Amino acid sequence: MALPAGTRDFLLGGKHALVIGAEHPVGRVAAVSLAEAGAKILIASQEAGTAAAMKETAKAVEAAGQKNVPTQVQHAVIRADLSATVDLTIRKLGGLDILVTALDNPFYAPADATNDSDFDHVMEDNFKNVWMACQEAGRVMLQRGGGTIVVISNVMGERGVPNATLYCAAKGAVRNLVRALALEWARRGVRINMIECGWLDAAGSAQNSSDEFAEKLVKYLPYRRLMKPEELGGALIYLVSPAAGFVTGESIAIDGGLLCRV
Amino acid sequence: MILESFSLEGKVAIITGAGRGLGRAMAIRFANCGADIVAASRTLAQLEETAAAVRKLGRRCLVKPTDVTSSAQINTMVDAAIAEFGQIDILVNNAGIGEESFGKRIEKITDEDWRAGIDTNLSSQFYCARAALPHMVKRKRGKIINVASGYGLRGGKHNYMYACSKGAILQLTRSLALTYADDNIQTNCIVPGIFPHNAALMEFFKGGKFIPVGRVGEDEDVGPLAVFLAADASNHVNGELVIIDGGGLAGGITPTGVAPANSN
Repeated sequence: MALPAGTRDFLLGGKHALVIGAEHPVGRVAAVSLAEAGAKILIASQEAGTAAAMKETAKAVEAAGQKNVPTQVQHAVIRADLSATVDLTIRKLGGLDILVTALDNPFYAPADATNDSDFDHVMEDNFKNVWMACQEAGRVMLQRGGGTIVVISNVMGERGVPNATLYCAAKGAVRNLVRALALEWARRGVRINMIECGWLDAAGSAQNSSDEFAEKLVKYLPYRRLMKPEELGGALIYLVSPAAGFVTGESIAIDGGLLCRV
Repeated sequence: MILESFSLEGKVAIITGAGRGLGRAMAIRFANCGADIVAASRTLAQLEETAAAVRKLGRRCLVKPTDVTSSAQINTMVDAAIAEFGQIDILVNNAGIGEESFGKRIEKITDEDWRAGIDTNLSSQFYCARAALPHMVKRKRGKIINVASGYGLRGGKHNYMYACSKGAILQLTRSLALTYADDNIQTNCIVPGIFPHNAALMEFFKGGKFIPVGRVGEDEDVGPLAVFLAADASNHVNGELVIIDGGGLAGGITPTGVAPANSN
Protein backbone atom coordinates (compact mmCIF):
# COMPACT_ATOMS: atom_id res chain seq x y z
CA MET A 1 0.00 0.00 0.00
CA ALA A 2 1.32 3.43 -0.93
CA LEU A 3 2.26 5.72 1.92
CA PRO A 4 0.22 8.91 2.40
CA ALA A 5 1.61 11.83 0.40
CA GLY A 6 2.45 13.83 3.52
CA THR A 7 5.13 11.35 4.57
CA ARG A 8 7.18 12.64 1.63
CA ASP A 9 8.06 15.60 3.87
CA PHE A 10 10.55 13.24 5.47
CA LEU A 11 12.17 11.86 2.32
CA LEU A 12 15.91 12.46 2.05
CA GLY A 13 16.38 11.59 -1.62
CA GLY A 14 19.43 13.34 -3.10
CA LYS A 15 20.97 14.03 0.33
CA HIS A 16 24.46 12.91 1.29
CA ALA A 17 25.08 11.88 4.88
CA LEU A 18 28.12 11.08 6.99
CA VAL A 19 27.52 9.00 10.12
CA ILE A 20 30.39 8.94 12.61
CA GLY A 21 30.32 6.31 15.34
CA ALA A 22 28.61 3.81 13.07
CA GLU A 23 30.11 0.81 14.89
CA HIS A 24 27.78 1.52 17.84
CA PRO A 25 24.18 0.24 17.89
CA VAL A 26 22.95 3.84 17.94
CA GLY A 27 25.11 4.88 14.98
CA ARG A 28 24.00 1.79 13.08
CA VAL A 29 20.33 2.69 13.56
CA ALA A 30 21.08 6.25 12.44
CA ALA A 31 22.77 5.04 9.26
CA VAL A 32 20.02 2.56 8.43
CA SER A 33 17.24 5.12 9.09
CA LEU A 34 18.91 7.69 6.83
CA ALA A 35 19.33 5.08 4.09
CA GLU A 36 15.69 4.02 4.40
CA ALA A 37 14.65 7.66 3.97
CA GLY A 38 16.66 7.77 0.75
CA ALA A 39 19.94 9.46 1.69
CA LYS A 40 23.31 8.18 0.47
CA ILE A 41 25.58 7.36 3.39
CA LEU A 42 29.25 7.10 4.23
CA ILE A 43 29.84 5.41 7.55
CA ALA A 44 32.84 6.17 9.74
CA SER A 45 33.86 4.73 13.07
CA GLN A 46 34.55 6.40 16.41
CA GLU A 47 37.58 4.23 17.02
CA ALA A 48 40.16 2.18 15.14
CA GLY A 49 40.02 -1.60 15.35
CA THR A 50 36.29 -1.70 14.65
CA ALA A 51 36.32 -3.21 11.16
CA ALA A 52 34.04 -6.12 12.05
CA ALA A 53 31.34 -3.95 13.62
CA MET A 54 31.60 -1.47 10.77
CA LYS A 55 31.13 -4.28 8.26
CA GLU A 56 27.96 -5.27 10.07
CA THR A 57 26.68 -1.70 9.82
CA ALA A 58 27.57 -1.54 6.13
CA LYS A 59 25.58 -4.73 5.57
CA ALA A 60 22.58 -3.27 7.40
CA VAL A 61 22.74 -0.09 5.30
CA GLU A 62 22.97 -2.21 2.15
CA ALA A 63 19.89 -4.13 3.25
CA ALA A 64 18.16 -0.75 3.57
CA GLY A 65 18.77 -0.16 -0.12
CA GLN A 66 22.17 1.47 -0.67
CA LYS A 67 24.60 -0.46 -2.83
CA ASN A 68 28.29 -0.15 -1.92
CA VAL A 69 28.42 1.66 1.39
CA PRO A 70 31.71 3.55 1.67
CA THR A 71 33.22 2.77 5.04
CA GLN A 72 36.00 4.53 6.90
CA VAL A 73 37.56 3.00 9.98
CA GLN A 74 39.10 5.98 11.77
CA HIS A 75 39.70 7.47 15.19
CA ALA A 76 37.30 10.38 15.65
CA VAL A 77 39.54 12.28 18.02
CA ILE A 78 42.35 12.59 15.47
CA ARG A 79 41.95 15.75 13.42
CA ALA A 80 43.60 14.33 10.30
CA ASP A 81 41.32 11.28 10.37
CA LEU A 82 38.17 13.41 10.54
CA SER A 83 39.39 15.73 7.85
CA ALA A 84 40.18 12.77 5.58
CA THR A 85 36.77 11.24 6.29
CA VAL A 86 34.98 14.46 5.34
CA ASP A 87 37.03 14.70 2.13
CA LEU A 88 36.26 11.08 1.34
CA THR A 89 32.54 11.72 1.84
CA ILE A 90 32.60 14.53 -0.71
CA ARG A 91 34.61 12.39 -3.11
CA LYS A 92 32.56 9.21 -2.78
CA LEU A 93 29.07 10.68 -2.40
CA GLY A 94 29.47 13.99 -4.21
CA GLY A 95 28.36 16.13 -1.27
CA LEU A 96 27.80 16.45 2.44
CA ASP A 97 24.36 17.62 3.54
CA ILE A 98 23.94 15.70 6.79
CA LEU A 99 26.33 14.85 9.61
CA VAL A 100 25.24 12.52 12.38
CA THR A 101 27.57 11.83 15.28
CA ALA A 102 27.02 8.88 17.61
CA LEU A 103 30.13 9.32 19.72
CA ASP A 104 30.12 7.88 23.19
CA ASN A 105 32.35 6.22 25.72
CA PRO A 106 30.72 5.83 29.16
CA PHE A 107 32.87 6.35 32.22
CA TYR A 108 31.89 5.51 35.78
CA ALA A 109 34.21 6.13 38.73
CA PRO A 110 34.09 8.08 41.97
CA ALA A 111 35.41 11.61 41.51
CA ASP A 112 38.04 11.14 44.21
CA ALA A 113 39.42 8.14 42.35
CA THR A 114 39.58 9.77 38.92
CA ASN A 115 42.91 10.96 37.56
CA ASP A 116 43.95 13.50 34.93
CA SER A 117 44.41 10.89 32.26
CA ASP A 118 40.81 9.73 32.85
CA PHE A 119 39.73 13.34 32.42
CA ASP A 120 41.43 13.64 29.06
CA HIS A 121 39.97 10.38 27.78
CA VAL A 122 36.41 11.10 28.91
CA MET A 123 36.46 14.57 27.39
CA GLU A 124 38.08 13.34 24.17
CA ASP A 125 35.76 10.38 23.67
CA ASN A 126 32.51 12.20 24.48
CA PHE A 127 33.08 15.87 23.76
CA LYS A 128 36.25 16.78 21.88
CA ASN A 129 35.44 14.35 19.06
CA VAL A 130 31.96 15.87 18.67
CA TRP A 131 33.45 19.35 18.55
CA MET A 132 36.03 18.35 15.96
CA ALA A 133 33.53 16.45 13.81
CA CYS A 134 31.19 19.47 13.80
CA GLN A 135 34.08 21.75 12.89
CA GLU A 136 35.37 19.58 10.06
CA ALA A 137 31.98 18.79 8.54
CA GLY A 138 30.70 22.28 9.32
CA ARG A 139 33.47 24.01 7.40
CA VAL A 140 32.55 22.06 4.30
CA MET A 141 28.82 22.67 4.79
CA LEU A 142 29.36 26.42 5.25
CA GLN A 143 31.43 26.53 2.05
CA ARG A 144 28.86 24.53 0.12
CA GLY A 145 25.92 26.63 1.23
CA GLY A 146 24.42 24.71 4.13
CA GLY A 147 23.68 21.45 5.81
CA THR A 148 22.34 19.93 8.97
CA ILE A 149 23.94 18.17 11.92
CA VAL A 150 22.43 15.88 14.53
CA VAL A 151 24.52 15.01 17.56
CA ILE A 152 23.35 11.88 19.34
CA SER A 153 24.06 11.94 23.05
CA ASN A 154 22.10 10.89 26.10
CA VAL A 155 20.07 12.17 29.04
CA MET A 156 23.17 12.48 31.18
CA GLY A 157 23.66 15.80 29.41
CA GLU A 158 20.60 17.05 31.32
CA ARG A 159 20.99 15.70 34.86
CA GLY A 160 23.64 14.58 37.32
CA VAL A 161 24.46 10.96 38.10
CA PRO A 162 26.72 10.06 41.03
CA ASN A 163 29.98 8.34 40.17
CA ALA A 164 29.63 9.63 36.64
CA THR A 165 30.63 13.23 37.20
CA LEU A 166 33.08 13.55 34.34
CA TYR A 167 30.83 11.69 31.92
CA CYS A 168 27.87 13.95 32.83
CA ALA A 169 30.09 17.01 32.45
CA ALA A 170 31.17 15.91 28.98
CA LYS A 171 27.58 15.24 27.91
CA GLY A 172 26.49 18.60 29.33
CA ALA A 173 29.26 20.26 27.36
CA VAL A 174 27.93 18.65 24.19
CA ARG A 175 24.43 19.94 24.95
CA ASN A 176 25.61 23.53 25.17
CA LEU A 177 27.96 23.18 22.22
CA VAL A 178 24.86 22.48 20.14
CA ARG A 179 23.06 25.59 21.43
CA ALA A 180 25.96 27.95 20.79
CA LEU A 181 26.98 26.49 17.43
CA ALA A 182 23.36 26.59 16.27
CA LEU A 183 23.35 30.34 16.88
CA GLU A 184 26.71 30.87 15.25
CA TRP A 185 25.75 29.09 12.04
CA ALA A 186 22.02 29.92 11.96
CA ARG A 187 22.35 32.54 9.24
CA ARG A 188 24.81 30.52 7.25
CA GLY A 189 22.46 27.67 6.46
CA VAL A 190 23.66 25.06 8.93
CA ARG A 191 21.21 23.74 11.50
CA ILE A 192 22.44 21.67 14.44
CA ASN A 193 20.26 19.69 16.83
CA MET A 194 20.54 16.79 19.24
CA ILE A 195 18.96 13.55 20.19
CA GLU A 196 19.36 12.54 23.81
CA CYS A 197 18.82 8.83 24.31
CA GLY A 198 17.43 7.37 27.50
CA TRP A 199 18.98 4.30 29.11
CA LEU A 200 19.75 2.03 26.20
CA ASP A 201 19.02 -1.62 25.72
CA ALA A 202 22.21 -2.35 23.83
CA ALA A 203 25.44 -4.23 24.31
CA GLY A 204 28.09 -2.13 26.01
CA SER A 205 25.60 0.12 27.76
CA ALA A 206 26.21 1.14 31.32
CA GLN A 207 23.24 -0.59 32.93
CA ASN A 208 24.59 -3.96 31.86
CA SER A 209 27.47 -3.50 34.28
CA SER A 210 25.42 -4.62 37.26
CA ASP A 211 22.24 -6.69 37.27
CA GLU A 212 21.13 -5.13 40.52
CA PHE A 213 21.43 -1.60 39.13
CA ALA A 214 19.66 -2.60 35.91
CA GLU A 215 16.75 -4.09 37.85
CA LYS A 216 16.28 -0.98 39.99
CA LEU A 217 16.69 1.30 37.00
CA VAL A 218 14.04 -0.40 34.91
CA LYS A 219 11.47 -0.04 37.70
CA TYR A 220 12.28 3.67 37.85
CA LEU A 221 11.64 4.31 34.16
CA PRO A 222 8.17 5.60 33.14
CA TYR A 223 7.77 2.76 30.60
CA ARG A 224 9.51 0.21 32.85
CA ARG A 225 11.79 -0.74 30.02
CA LEU A 226 15.02 0.42 28.41
CA MET A 227 15.12 2.36 25.17
CA LYS A 228 15.66 0.36 22.00
CA PRO A 229 18.18 1.98 19.63
CA GLU A 230 15.61 1.76 16.78
CA GLU A 231 13.44 4.23 18.69
CA LEU A 232 15.66 7.16 17.74
CA GLY A 233 15.07 6.78 13.99
CA GLY A 234 11.94 8.92 13.79
CA ALA A 235 13.41 11.90 15.64
CA LEU A 236 16.57 11.71 13.55
CA ILE A 237 14.70 11.72 10.26
CA TYR A 238 12.48 14.59 11.40
CA LEU A 239 15.44 16.70 12.54
CA VAL A 240 17.56 16.23 9.40
CA SER A 241 14.65 16.71 7.00
CA PRO A 242 14.02 20.11 5.39
CA ALA A 243 10.64 19.98 7.16
CA ALA A 244 12.49 20.90 10.39
CA GLY A 245 13.95 24.05 8.81
CA PHE A 246 12.87 26.26 11.74
CA VAL A 247 14.36 23.96 14.40
CA THR A 248 17.94 24.58 15.49
CA GLY A 249 19.84 24.38 18.77
CA GLU A 250 17.18 21.98 20.08
CA SER A 251 17.37 18.51 21.59
CA ILE A 252 14.77 15.76 21.49
CA ALA A 253 15.04 13.22 24.31
CA ILE A 254 13.99 9.65 23.52
CA ASP A 255 13.56 8.60 27.12
CA GLY A 256 9.91 7.67 27.60
CA GLY A 257 9.45 10.67 29.88
CA LEU A 258 12.33 10.02 32.28
CA LEU A 259 13.40 13.67 32.31
CA CYS A 260 9.92 14.70 33.54
CA ARG A 261 10.13 12.93 36.85
CA VAL A 262 11.48 14.17 40.14
CA MET B 1 10.65 1.27 6.79
CA ILE B 2 11.19 4.52 8.57
CA LEU B 3 8.78 6.63 6.50
CA GLU B 4 5.89 4.33 7.44
CA SER B 5 6.35 5.43 11.03
CA PHE B 6 5.25 8.95 9.98
CA SER B 7 1.94 7.74 8.51
CA LEU B 8 -1.28 8.71 10.29
CA GLU B 9 -3.41 6.41 8.17
CA GLY B 10 -6.49 5.20 10.03
CA LYS B 11 -6.02 7.67 12.89
CA VAL B 12 -8.42 10.28 14.21
CA ALA B 13 -7.13 13.60 15.51
CA ILE B 14 -8.97 16.25 17.51
CA ILE B 15 -7.44 19.67 16.97
CA THR B 16 -8.59 22.69 18.95
CA GLY B 17 -8.13 26.12 17.44
CA ALA B 18 -8.32 24.36 14.08
CA GLY B 19 -9.97 27.29 12.27
CA ARG B 20 -6.79 29.21 11.57
CA GLY B 21 -3.09 29.60 12.05
CA LEU B 22 -1.09 26.70 13.48
CA GLY B 23 -4.25 24.65 14.10
CA ARG B 24 -5.32 24.77 10.49
CA ALA B 25 -1.78 24.04 9.28
CA MET B 26 -1.62 20.97 11.54
CA ALA B 27 -5.05 19.77 10.40
CA ILE B 28 -3.99 19.92 6.76
CA ARG B 29 -0.67 18.15 7.36
CA PHE B 30 -2.37 15.47 9.43
CA ALA B 31 -4.92 14.91 6.68
CA ASN B 32 -2.12 14.74 4.15
CA CYS B 33 -0.54 12.01 6.27
CA GLY B 34 -3.80 10.07 6.32
CA ALA B 35 -5.66 11.18 9.45
CA ASP B 36 -9.33 12.10 9.82
CA ILE B 37 -9.88 15.33 11.71
CA VAL B 38 -12.19 16.70 14.37
CA ALA B 39 -11.90 20.46 14.04
CA ALA B 40 -12.93 22.42 17.12
CA SER B 41 -12.91 26.15 17.80
CA ARG B 42 -15.34 29.00 18.35
CA THR B 43 -15.86 30.24 14.81
CA LEU B 44 -17.86 27.98 12.48
CA ALA B 45 -16.96 29.82 9.29
CA GLN B 46 -13.23 29.34 9.90
CA LEU B 47 -13.71 25.68 10.77
CA GLU B 48 -15.60 25.15 7.52
CA GLU B 49 -12.61 26.47 5.58
CA THR B 50 -10.29 24.07 7.38
CA ALA B 51 -12.75 21.22 6.78
CA ALA B 52 -12.89 22.01 3.07
CA ALA B 53 -9.10 21.79 2.87
CA VAL B 54 -9.09 18.47 4.78
CA ARG B 55 -11.81 16.97 2.59
CA LYS B 56 -10.00 18.06 -0.54
CA LEU B 57 -7.21 15.74 0.60
CA GLY B 58 -9.68 12.86 0.73
CA ARG B 59 -10.03 12.72 4.51
CA ARG B 60 -13.08 13.13 6.72
CA CYS B 61 -13.53 16.18 8.92
CA LEU B 62 -16.04 16.67 11.70
CA VAL B 63 -16.66 20.35 12.34
CA LYS B 64 -17.55 21.06 15.94
CA PRO B 65 -17.88 24.68 17.06
CA THR B 66 -16.72 24.67 20.68
CA ASP B 67 -16.02 27.22 23.37
CA VAL B 68 -12.93 25.57 24.84
CA THR B 69 -13.31 27.42 28.14
CA SER B 70 -16.42 25.31 28.78
CA SER B 71 -15.71 21.78 29.93
CA ALA B 72 -19.32 20.86 29.12
CA GLN B 73 -18.85 21.90 25.50
CA ILE B 74 -15.55 20.03 25.35
CA ASN B 75 -17.20 16.87 26.67
CA THR B 76 -19.90 17.22 24.02
CA MET B 77 -17.26 17.69 21.32
CA VAL B 78 -15.37 14.57 22.43
CA ASP B 79 -18.62 12.56 22.54
CA ALA B 80 -19.40 13.73 19.02
CA ALA B 81 -15.93 12.68 17.87
CA ILE B 82 -16.49 9.18 19.28
CA ALA B 83 -19.97 8.99 17.76
CA GLU B 84 -18.58 9.95 14.36
CA PHE B 85 -15.30 8.02 14.30
CA GLY B 86 -15.44 5.55 17.20
CA GLN B 87 -11.94 6.40 18.40
CA ILE B 88 -9.54 9.21 19.27
CA ASP B 89 -5.89 8.59 18.52
CA ILE B 90 -4.51 12.11 18.72
CA LEU B 91 -5.47 15.21 20.69
CA VAL B 92 -3.84 18.49 19.75
CA ASN B 93 -4.45 21.17 22.38
CA ASN B 94 -3.75 24.21 20.30
CA ALA B 95 -6.42 26.81 21.06
CA GLY B 96 -5.01 29.92 22.65
CA ILE B 97 -5.41 33.66 22.97
CA GLY B 98 -3.71 36.65 24.45
CA GLU B 99 -0.87 37.67 22.19
CA GLU B 100 -2.75 40.94 21.66
CA SER B 101 -2.47 41.60 25.41
CA PHE B 102 1.34 41.87 25.27
CA GLY B 103 2.43 45.18 26.72
CA LYS B 104 -0.74 45.78 28.72
CA ARG B 105 0.14 47.15 32.16
CA ILE B 106 -0.85 45.12 35.19
CA GLU B 107 -3.31 47.70 36.55
CA LYS B 108 -5.21 47.63 33.23
CA ILE B 109 -5.70 43.87 33.29
CA THR B 110 -9.13 42.98 34.68
CA ASP B 111 -10.00 39.82 36.59
CA GLU B 112 -12.02 38.86 33.58
CA ASP B 113 -9.06 39.28 31.18
CA TRP B 114 -6.92 37.13 33.43
CA ARG B 115 -9.49 34.36 33.84
CA ALA B 116 -10.49 34.30 30.18
CA GLY B 117 -6.85 33.90 29.21
CA ILE B 118 -6.02 31.21 31.72
CA ASP B 119 -9.23 29.35 30.84
CA THR B 120 -8.61 29.46 27.11
CA ASN B 121 -4.90 28.68 27.13
CA LEU B 122 -4.55 26.33 30.08
CA SER B 123 -7.87 25.02 31.42
CA SER B 124 -8.98 24.06 27.91
CA GLN B 125 -5.99 21.72 27.60
CA PHE B 126 -6.80 20.12 30.93
CA TYR B 127 -10.49 19.73 30.03
CA CYS B 128 -9.70 18.22 26.63
CA ALA B 129 -7.15 15.78 28.05
CA ARG B 130 -9.59 14.75 30.79
CA ALA B 131 -12.33 14.10 28.25
CA ALA B 132 -10.18 12.30 25.65
CA LEU B 133 -8.01 10.17 27.94
CA PRO B 134 -10.59 7.48 28.85
CA HIS B 135 -10.97 6.70 25.14
CA MET B 136 -7.20 6.42 24.74
CA VAL B 137 -6.71 4.39 27.93
CA LYS B 138 -9.33 1.89 26.76
CA ARG B 139 -7.30 1.18 23.61
CA LYS B 140 -3.90 1.49 25.34
CA ARG B 141 -2.70 3.98 22.77
CA GLY B 142 -2.84 7.70 22.21
CA LYS B 143 -0.92 10.88 21.57
CA ILE B 144 -1.52 14.23 23.23
CA ILE B 145 0.23 17.26 21.79
CA ASN B 146 0.03 20.47 23.80
CA VAL B 147 0.98 23.72 22.16
CA ALA B 148 2.78 26.15 24.47
CA SER B 149 5.07 29.06 23.59
CA GLY B 150 8.59 30.31 24.11
CA TYR B 151 6.98 32.54 26.74
CA GLY B 152 6.31 29.35 28.68
CA LEU B 153 10.05 29.15 29.25
CA ARG B 154 10.97 32.82 29.54
CA GLY B 155 9.29 35.88 30.98
CA GLY B 156 8.38 39.13 29.27
CA LYS B 157 7.72 42.66 30.38
CA HIS B 158 3.99 43.20 30.93
CA ASN B 159 3.38 39.59 30.04
CA TYR B 160 1.47 37.84 32.82
CA MET B 161 -1.44 35.66 31.78
CA TYR B 162 0.25 34.50 28.58
CA ALA B 163 3.58 33.56 30.18
CA CYS B 164 1.87 31.92 33.17
CA SER B 165 -0.62 29.89 31.14
CA LYS B 166 2.02 28.75 28.65
CA GLY B 167 4.46 27.85 31.43
CA ALA B 168 1.78 25.79 33.12
CA ILE B 169 1.21 23.86 29.89
CA LEU B 170 4.76 22.51 30.15
CA GLN B 171 3.96 21.13 33.59
CA LEU B 172 0.62 19.72 32.46
CA THR B 173 2.57 17.94 29.71
CA ARG B 174 5.06 16.42 32.13
CA SER B 175 2.47 15.15 34.60
CA LEU B 176 0.24 13.67 31.89
CA ALA B 177 3.32 12.05 30.36
CA LEU B 178 4.33 10.33 33.59
CA THR B 179 0.80 9.33 34.57
CA TYR B 180 -0.22 7.73 31.29
CA ALA B 181 3.07 6.09 30.32
CA ASP B 182 1.63 2.84 31.67
CA ASP B 183 -1.25 3.16 29.22
CA ASN B 184 1.05 3.70 26.25
CA ILE B 185 -0.09 7.29 25.80
CA GLN B 186 2.57 9.84 24.90
CA THR B 187 2.09 13.48 25.85
CA ASN B 188 4.46 16.03 24.36
CA CYS B 189 4.59 19.75 23.89
CA ILE B 190 5.36 21.95 20.92
CA VAL B 191 7.01 25.21 21.95
CA PRO B 192 6.69 27.66 19.07
CA GLY B 193 8.82 30.77 18.96
CA ILE B 194 7.69 33.83 17.05
CA PHE B 195 4.80 33.07 14.67
CA PRO B 196 3.12 36.45 14.10
CA HIS B 197 -0.41 36.13 12.77
CA ASN B 198 -1.07 39.77 12.00
CA ALA B 199 0.70 42.99 11.09
CA ALA B 200 0.57 44.35 14.65
CA LEU B 201 2.38 41.30 16.04
CA MET B 202 4.89 41.41 13.21
CA GLU B 203 5.58 44.98 14.23
CA PHE B 204 5.75 44.04 17.95
CA PHE B 205 8.37 41.39 17.13
CA LYS B 206 10.25 43.71 14.75
CA GLY B 207 9.77 41.34 11.86
CA GLY B 208 11.79 38.71 13.70
CA LYS B 209 15.12 40.31 12.82
CA PHE B 210 16.59 39.17 16.14
CA ILE B 211 15.74 35.51 15.46
CA PRO B 212 18.96 33.56 14.84
CA VAL B 213 17.88 31.98 11.55
CA GLY B 214 16.80 35.42 10.35
CA ARG B 215 13.09 34.85 9.87
CA VAL B 216 9.86 34.38 11.80
CA GLY B 217 8.07 31.07 11.90
CA GLU B 218 5.41 30.19 9.35
CA ASP B 219 2.40 28.10 10.24
CA GLU B 220 3.57 25.35 7.86
CA ASP B 221 6.78 24.94 9.91
CA VAL B 222 4.79 23.38 12.73
CA GLY B 223 2.93 20.76 10.66
CA PRO B 224 5.76 18.23 10.22
CA LEU B 225 6.74 18.48 13.90
CA ALA B 226 3.14 17.79 14.88
CA VAL B 227 3.08 14.83 12.48
CA PHE B 228 6.25 13.44 14.10
CA LEU B 229 4.73 13.77 17.58
CA ALA B 230 1.39 12.28 16.43
CA ALA B 231 2.89 9.31 14.62
CA ASP B 232 4.56 6.06 15.67
CA ALA B 233 7.89 7.76 14.84
CA SER B 234 7.80 9.29 18.33
CA ASN B 235 6.62 6.29 20.35
CA HIS B 236 9.37 6.57 22.98
CA VAL B 237 9.28 10.38 23.11
CA ASN B 238 7.19 11.37 26.11
CA GLY B 239 6.91 14.47 28.27
CA GLU B 240 9.24 16.25 25.90
CA LEU B 241 9.16 19.91 24.91
CA VAL B 242 10.22 20.49 21.34
CA ILE B 243 11.18 24.08 20.69
CA ILE B 244 10.59 25.32 17.14
CA ASP B 245 11.85 28.87 17.10
CA GLY B 246 14.68 29.37 14.64
CA GLY B 247 17.19 29.02 17.46
CA GLY B 248 15.98 31.88 19.66
CA LEU B 249 15.75 30.03 22.96
CA ALA B 250 19.16 28.41 22.47
CA GLY B 251 20.50 31.90 23.07
CA GLY B 252 19.09 34.99 24.68
CA ILE B 253 21.99 36.31 26.74
CA THR B 254 23.13 38.55 23.91
CA PRO B 255 20.81 41.08 22.27
CA THR B 256 20.20 39.24 19.02
CA GLY B 257 20.91 35.66 19.93
CA VAL B 258 23.73 35.63 17.39
CA ALA B 259 27.35 36.58 17.84
CA PRO B 260 27.93 40.35 17.70
CA ALA B 261 30.13 40.03 14.62
CA ASN B 262 27.35 38.27 12.76
CA SER B 263 24.38 40.15 14.11
CA ASN B 264 21.74 41.80 11.96
